Amino acid sequence: MSARDRILGRVREALSERTAVEHPGSFEGWRPAAPALPVDGLAHLLEAAGGEIVRQPNVDAAAAWLASFCADFGSSAVGETVPEPLRPPLPAGAPDTAPLGVSLARGAVAETGSLIMDARDGRRAQLLVPTHVVFVRTRDVYVTLREALIELADDLPSAIGFHSGPSKSADIGQILVKGVHGPGRLVAVLMGDGD
Amino acid sequence: MSFTGPGNYREEAAKTIRDKPEVRTSITAATRAFDAHRVHAWGQIDADRWRDWARDVKSHVLGHLDEYLEQAEEQLTANGARVHWAETAEDALAILGDIVREHGVESAVKAKSMLSEELGVNAHLESLGVHVRETDLGEYIIQLLGQPPSHIVGPAIHLSVDDCRRLFHERLGTPLDAEPDELAGAARDALRAEFLAADLGISGGNFLAADTGTVALIENEGNIRLSTSLPRIHVACVGIEKLVPKLEDVSGFLQLTARAATGQPIGNFVSLIQGPRKNDEVDGPEEVHVVLVDNGRTKLLADDAAWEALRCVRCGACLNICPVYRQTGGHAYGWTYSGPIGAIIAPAMLGLEEAMPLPYASSLCGACTDVCPVRIPIPELLVHWREKAVEQGLTPMTETMGLKAYAKLAQKPDLFAAAGSVLRHVPLELGGRALPVLAGWMQERSAPKSSKKSFLQMWKEGIE
Ligand code: SF4
Repeated sequence: MSARDRILGRVREALSERTAVEHPGSFEGWRPAAPALPVDGLAHLLEAAGGEIVRQPNVDAAAAWLASFCADFGSSAVGETVPEPLRPPLPAGAPDTAPLGVSLARGAVAETGSLIMDARDGRRAQLLVPTHVVFVRTRDVYVTLREALIELADDLPSAIGFHSGPSKSADIGQILVKGVHGPGRLVAVLMGDGD
Repeated sequence: MSFTGPGNYREEAAKTIRDKPEVRTSITAATRAFDAHRVHAWGQIDADRWRDWARDVKSHVLGHLDEYLEQAEEQLTANGARVHWAETAEDALAILGDIVREHGVESAVKAKSMLSEELGVNAHLESLGVHVRETDLGEYIIQLLGQPPSHIVGPAIHLSVDDCRRLFHERLGTPLDAEPDELAGAARDALRAEFLAADLGISGGNFLAADTGTVALIENEGNIRLSTSLPRIHVACVGIEKLVPKLEDVSGFLQLTARAATGQPIGNFVSLIQGPRKNDEVDGPEEVHVVLVDNGRTKLLADDAAWEALRCVRCGACLNICPVYRQTGGHAYGWTYSGPIGAIIAPAMLGLEEAMPLPYASSLCGACTDVCPVRIPIPELLVHWREKAVEQGLTPMTETMGLKAYAKLAQKPDLFAAAGSVLRHVPLELGGRALPVLAGWMQERSAPKSSKKSFLQMWKEGIE
C-alpha cells in the first residue's frame, strides 16, 4: 500500500461514523452597508492599503499620462500583454534591474481592492521592480472576489497574483515599512472606455 | 534554540516572565494591535454570517476529505504539478530530499510556512548541504537569531526594534540607530540576491481548491510570490486539512482570514498557483510539486470532538486575544503551534502525554472561541483533553497547573469575570464529567475573593 492509500484509508476510517455537513452554498460577502460603485470601491481600498490611483478616461489619455510619468525613470520592464500605446517610451530593462515595471491587469476586484495579475503577462516584471504601474480597464472590474474567481476558473494560467497594495511589513517592532520584497510603490491606472 | 516539546512549559513560561520581561511587553503590544485591527475589520462585515459560512464549508470538506483530496490530486496532476503524499514529517523530508538530489539543488528560498516549521524543513535541507534562506522579514530575523517563530502570523513579534537594530548591525552592518526602513532595505538587498540565485522555492499553502487544483497563499511582503515564481522548482507543503471544494470558496476564506489575522480586507499579495509555467508564459517555475502532509492530522480527524480543530486557518486571532499567550509569547509552549490552537492540536499530533501540560495552559475564559473565524470550540476541546488526561492518569499536572493556578486566577474578580464566560462555551453536561478539573474551578468561581496581586504575580506563583 502506498502512503497515499494509507492516508486516504485513515481518513475514511475516521469519517465512517461521522455525520456529514452540507456545503452552505456560495459566499455572499454579507455586509451591513451597501458597497460603493465598483471602481470607487477599488480605488478606495487600494489607496487605503498604500497604493496610488490614477484615473484616465481612455487609453490615449493613459498613454499621455504614462509619457510624463516615465520622465523620472531610466528604463522599464514591460509585461507581455501590455498593448503598444501603453508601453513606456523608455529603454527596455531587465526586471531585476529596471526601476520601473509596467503591467496590464487582467481585471480587478472592488470588494478587496485587488489587481488581478496573470502569469502570462510575465511575473518578474510584476514582482522585482521597485515601482509597479498597473493598467486596468474599468470594464474589467469585478464587484466581488467570488465573481472574479468564477470567471478566472475557466481560463487559468500557471499562477495568478492579486496585488492589493505595495509590499509591506510590520515585522520590525510592529512599525510599517514599504517595499520589503515586492514593489514598494504601486500605481494603479484605471482606464475608462470613453473618447 | 530549538523546540524541545511542551513538557517544560511551566519552567519555560516562568523563565520568560522572570528573565525576559521585555518579551511580554513586545508580545502584548503586538497582539493587542493585531486584535484591534481584527475588531475594526469585523465591524465592516456581518462577521457572524461569514464565520458560520466558513465553519460549515470547512466542516463539509473535512467530512468528505477523501473525495476532495482525490479531486485535488487529479486536478493538480492535470495542471502539470506533481503530487506527493507524506504520512509523517520524515516522509515529507524524504520527498524534499529526493527533489533536491534529483535536481542538484544548492540553494533554496523559503516563504513563511508553519507546516515547514512543523516538519523541520530547514535543518533537514541544511543537513543535505542546501543553503536555506527564510525570506519573510520576520522569519529572516529569527533565522539569523537561530530561534523558532513565536507567533503563527508574526514570527518575530517577541522582538523589539532595538533587538532588530542590534542584530542587523552585527549581521548586515547597518548603523545601531538605523530606522526600520533602513533595516528593511538592508534585508531586501541581502535577500534579493538569494532570490535570484535560488534553485528551489518552498512554500506552504493557506488553501487548496479541489476543483481547479489551486494552492492559495496570503502575504503582505511579496516574498511568497517571489519564492514561487523565481526559482526553477517550487515545492508547496500543504496539510491535508487545507482543502476547500471550489476556487470560488477561496474568496470567502481569503477575506475572512485576512480580516481575522491583521484586519486587512485581503493580504497585499495573494498567489493562486495551479502548476508549472505553461508554454505561453515567459517565466515561472519549470516544476511544481505539492506535498500533501498528514503528520498527525488523520489522528485529529479520528477524534470525535477534536476534529473540529482541523478547521483552523492559522490566523492567530486566538493567540492575540489569549491572556495566557500574551504573558510569554509562543516559545514557552515548546513546539511549533502555540496559544489556544496549539494547546488543542498538540494532544492529537504529538500524543497526549507528550503534549502535557498544554491543555492546562488556559484560563478557559473563552475569548479565543469568540474570535475564531471558523468557530472552533477551543475551551470545550481543552476540557476534552483535560478529561482524557484524567482518564489516562496524567493528573499530577491537573493538580499543580490546573487547580492551583486557576484557583488563584479566580481570586481576581475582574479576570475572573472574563473567565466566567467559559460557562457559555462548556456544555452543561461537561461540568459533571470534567471532574475534578472543571468542578474544582467552578467551586472557586462561586466565591471570588479580591486580591491585590497582579495576574502576572499570581500566574508566576501558580507556575513556580
Ligand atoms: S483556532 Fe481559530 S482563531 Fe486560532 S488560529 Fe485557528 S482559525 Fe485562527
